[in-house]
Amino acid sequence: MAEPDIILQFEGVTVLSDTHLAVGLREVSFALRAGEVAIVEVEEGREHVPLADVAEGLILADEGRVAFMGEGWETMSAHRQANRRGRIRRVFHNYGWVSNLSVLDNICLAEFHHTHRPHGDVVDEAVALARRFGIGEIPDARPSRVLGLVLRKLEWVRALLGRPALVILERPLFGAPRADASLLLAAVAEEARRGAAVVWLTDEPRVCGCKDFESCKRFKMEGERLVPLAPEGA
Amino acid sequence: MATLAPMSFLAVIGDGAISQFRRLRRLTAVAWNVLTLAVRPGSWPRTTRRVFALQILFTGYDALAFVSIMALLTGISVVVQAQVWMGRLGQSQLLGPLLITVIVRELGPLLVNFIVIGRSGTAMAAEMAGMTVRKEVEVLDAQGVDAMVYLVMPRALGMAICVLCLTVMFVVVSFGSGYLCGAFLGTGPGDPTIFVRSVLQGVEPGDFYNLLAKTLVPGLLTAVIASMEGLSVEGLATDIPQAVTRSVVRSYAAVLVVSVIVSILTYA
Repeated sequence: MAEPDIILQFEGVTVLSDTHLAVGLREVSFALRAGEVAIVEVEEGREHVPLADVAEGLILADEGRVAFMGEGWETMSAHRQANRRGRIRRVFHNYGWVSNLSVLDNICLAEFHHTHRPHGDVVDEAVALARRFGIGEIPDARPSRVLGLVLRKLEWVRALLGRPALVILERPLFGAPRADASLLLAAVAEEARRGAAVVWLTDEPRVCGCKDFESCKRFKMEGERLVPLAPEGA
Repeated sequence: MATLAPMSFLAVIGDGAISQFRRLRRLTAVAWNVLTLAVRPGSWPRTTRRVFALQILFTGYDALAFVSIMALLTGISVVVQAQVWMGRLGQSQLLGPLLITVIVRELGPLLVNFIVIGRSGTAMAAEMAGMTVRKEVEVLDAQGVDAMVYLVMPRALGMAICVLCLTVMFVVVSFGSGYLCGAFLGTGPGDPTIFVRSVLQGVEPGDFYNLLAKTLVPGLLTAVIASMEGLSVEGLATDIPQAVTRSVVRSYAAVLVVSVIVSILTYA
């Protein structure tokens, strides 16, 4: 079955902030098609906006509607939501690892859970992606035994593994060597060309420029509002 | 004021009863959810099958040695004593029914359930609570890996099956060790066929259902209670030991309640 053209759609989404630590969202609207990249500039000190959680339906909108691949999260059963999230990959703002699984199992977990791809194929693809980011072998150790810098790049591997419909990157360059930014930019651009929609939350000037992607939209978080920006150089 | 004290006393009792009822309702709902998920083919992706296999390895295989030792000691103490006293009373023909009543119907399932709660229920509650505190359940959720399908259901089924298998092994080892010890001490029937026939004569059809109910149901409930307590911590590391303690206490209570109810339903 053909996938819908619009992968992610926010329609007047408001999420109320429930604690003094969290930022909410106010009347956020945008649509992201297959192959499009949305760069969202986040403010210093307010980097953790709930945009990713709301896009994944983990936090439901207090007002408005979020649709993923044409379906509103609020209309889906729990089973359907889990299946749909299987098409989303993410680099987490926080530590995004399950501590009682090896790093390799963590990376391949969603592919193993949601697809019938042979085990070897998934592992081979993960290893190939890791090599692309300069990691020779994926450690078979628990995440707590692996350097943070290596883990960060392995999060990129997990986010780009398989055929995701949506890739959400929450400040993926945080804690990674600046020199490796180009590797991630190239890999994400390739993923977008293959048809994935990408939401990239960042405060990196190089990424904010939107120059590395064929089809790119720029936004900026100003408080709780998402403000569209003109393409750089326009 | 004179009427306030009795009213507040009644209110405390009422609050406690309502709270227990709600907890029981939640436990039943989660256990039912586990069973309905288990029979749905879509609930068994390879990740879930792996967790199921690992649970059987940890709860069943890794506990074999300890349960065997417990069964050996139980056999020596209970079976040999039963042989001695039945012999002295001139009621040797009742040895089989007595051993079936004590070991198969009550002691075996209870001891194995207690061992599994101590070994695996505590570990499961601590693991789940740790995952909740470290927000790893949210990481799973974000990848579309449902905690019920991946964390709770395979562990609960694995634990239920392990309690059944370990209990069968416990019964066999305790009878075997009791017979051998009795033969060595000269207190039991020398001919093993007499001992086996005596035990088999004591078995009733209800014992089969009794054994299934006293192992599968508490095994499932132990895992469900451990999961519920672990997954319901508030996000502080200091909550983990409290969750484990609650899990142990409630699991012990569940095992005893189920054991009593099944005994009454089967034999009363």
